[in-house]
Amino acid sequence: MMRAEFFRILRSPALWLVLAVAVLGPFEMSSYYLHIATLALIYVALCSAWNIVGGIGGQISLGHSLFVGLGSLLASALLLKLGINLWLGMLIAAVLSGAAGAMIAWIDFRFRLGHLSFALITLAFAEMAEIVAIGWDFVGGASGLLLPHDMGNFLAFQFGGGKGSYWAALTVAVVCVTANLAILNAPLGYALRCIRNNEDAAQAIGVGLLRTKMLAMVISAVLTSIVGTVYARYLAFVDPYQLASPLITVEIVLFATVGGLGSAFGPALGAIVLVPLGEILRGKLGGVLPGLHAFIYGLIVIATIMLSPRGLLALFASRWTRKADSLIANLAKLFSAATGPLLRSALPRSRPPCAAAASRTGARRPQNRRRSTT
Amino acid sequence: MDELLQALVEGLLIGSTYGLVALGMGLVYGVSGVVNFAHGDFILLGMYVCLALYSAFALDPYVSLIVTLPVMTLVGALVYRFLIRPIADQHLLMVVQLTLGLALVIQNGVLMLFGGQPQRTPSIVEAKLFVVGDVVLRGPQVIAAVISFALAGVLFVILRSTDIGRSIRAVHQNARAAALMGIDVGQVQTITFAMGIGIVAVAAALLSPGASIQPSDGLRYTVTTLLVIVLGGMTDFAGIMLGGLIIGCAEALGTVYLSETLGTLLPYAIFVLIMLFRPRGLSWGTG
Repeated sequence: MMRAEFFRILRSPALWLVLAVAVLGPFEMSSYYLHIATLALIYVALCSAWNIVGGIGGQISLGHSLFVGLGSLLASALLLKLGINLWLGMLIAAVLSGAAGAMIAWIDFRFRLGHLSFALITLAFAEMAEIVAIGWDFVGGASGLLLPHDMGNFLAFQFGGGKGSYWAALTVAVVCVTANLAILNAPLGYALRCIRNNEDAAQAIGVGLLRTKMLAMVISAVLTSIVGTVYARYLAFVDPYQLASPLITVEIVLFATVGGLGSAFGPALGAIVLVPLGEILRGKLGGVLPGLHAFIYGLIVIATIMLSPRGLLALFASRWTRKADSLIANLAKLFSAATGPLLRSALPRSRPPCAAAASRTGARRPQNRRRSTT
Repeated sequence: MDELLQALVEGLLIGSTYGLVALGMGLVYGVSGVVNFAHGDFILLGMYVCLALYSAFALDPYVSLIVTLPVMTLVGALVYRFLIRPIADQHLLMVVQLTLGLALVIQNGVLMLFGGQPQRTPSIVEAKLFVVGDVVLRGPQVIAAVISFALAGVLFVILRSTDIGRSIRAVHQNARAAALMGIDVGQVQTITFAMGIGIVAVAAALLSPGASIQPSDGLRYTVTTLLVIVLGGMTDFAGIMLGGLIIGCAEALGTVYLSETLGTLLPYAIFVLIMLFRPRGLSWGTG
């Protein structure tokens, strides 16, 4: 059962305009900016996947590098060492990640860990996983794995590099953001937010703690692992020091938090702003003095947090979105009037019954009104 | 057997310093709910300042404390007052991210000034060895352990029977009630944070002699400290010191008995095991 809000946002013209720009973007980009955009989209996906557990559910997991590592290292190792197709490898890694996620959620539930204990236990798992990955030659060990050249063979999980990889990254990013949006407007999202706000109260009113936490963690882990495989394919060289290191979790949590925790688009926004910023700083200043770009980057992160302590999304939402939304909506109206029924037929037109019923009676349920964030 | 004893003693010695650093972090957490992810980078900053003072004026790390202790304490107070306090009532993760940004700034500032290659600060006590039975103790480690325990004792007395200590405990128990009793909560939080960073300055001097340092080591110190305070039950005095000793021993035993990579794994494994059996940490009190 999905709330009408979900379909309303999916039908928002602004969203489709942004998506259209994102899809057509690579035709106008140089390869350098295409690389940055691809990286940003991969982090959009990673941050959104993490947000399901860390933002919506308030369970600060620092163990997501484990899932990225499984998706990238294990899937690549299965391809190179056992000759298993990367599509199948992606599925195997995703299933294993889901299982690992379920186990972590069970430990969290069984031992009733506090926030910081949970964060550190997941970090401990991730640290141990990195050490295992570096010491285990099957997944490449300390030297890493080199994937075969990307020939654009779709059946072998190859997207042809450049634009193809960009679209692959865009696809996983869209899937992860949509998953966030869907969960926020589904019973699972309510249960998760309930747990985030007060675990005991949630349990008292009948929210299944284990079921909810486990479901959220499994969804998040599976998505993260799949993104990990796409990331590995894009990088072509799979390095455990990069992909299985807890530093990648630190980055994910940083982008998601700065963007806006617990919202559907906040983490994506954080990644879209901070990843290109970091890359461009590295490109411009990396050769000048070692450490200078990261120094400035740290200063910008601090300044951003001081300026928008509730996240970039909240900052944008309060100032610009209303104006921008109406502007984009008007533009879209003009655009659709100009292109005729072609565009309209591409958009989903039929309204879901519950949304239609809600607008017909003109009344929204109180619990719908009380929600502040979407 | 000698090996085991040697490793255990070394672990206990280094663990006492971990415990001391974690005490500072635990105090800050207890009073203001802030988890400082730049704590380890402040240790590193202190160590690099010791190095700079040594190469400029040939000051021994212990003597450098005259400079580093007041400067770092002041820096701590300023950081809390102007960076952390404005956003302290936001989501816990926001503060964590801010301190991570700070960690990035410190780490890369140090990298820019000192370069990335490992360096070490010598000291006159470095070559001193104490031989007790079959166990050989290095001078700096013994000094570090003695001072750590002494300082932990001083901290305990301060908390127990001075006005500022009572204020800190009051804010820890109930900030609103403390404010109603006329305690300036913001000031107490600032002082506590400054104290935490001051402790870090001392720990940096204690860890400096002979230790190899690299700009990227900060996060490792932070994580070790976090393991210790969570193990110690966040704010429990004895629990945190015990946690420090356990993590120190786990590190020492791991590097002696297991391979290089597996050795670094041992503290985490022991941490997970203990947390599974005692989710509230090692504290005995109600904390």
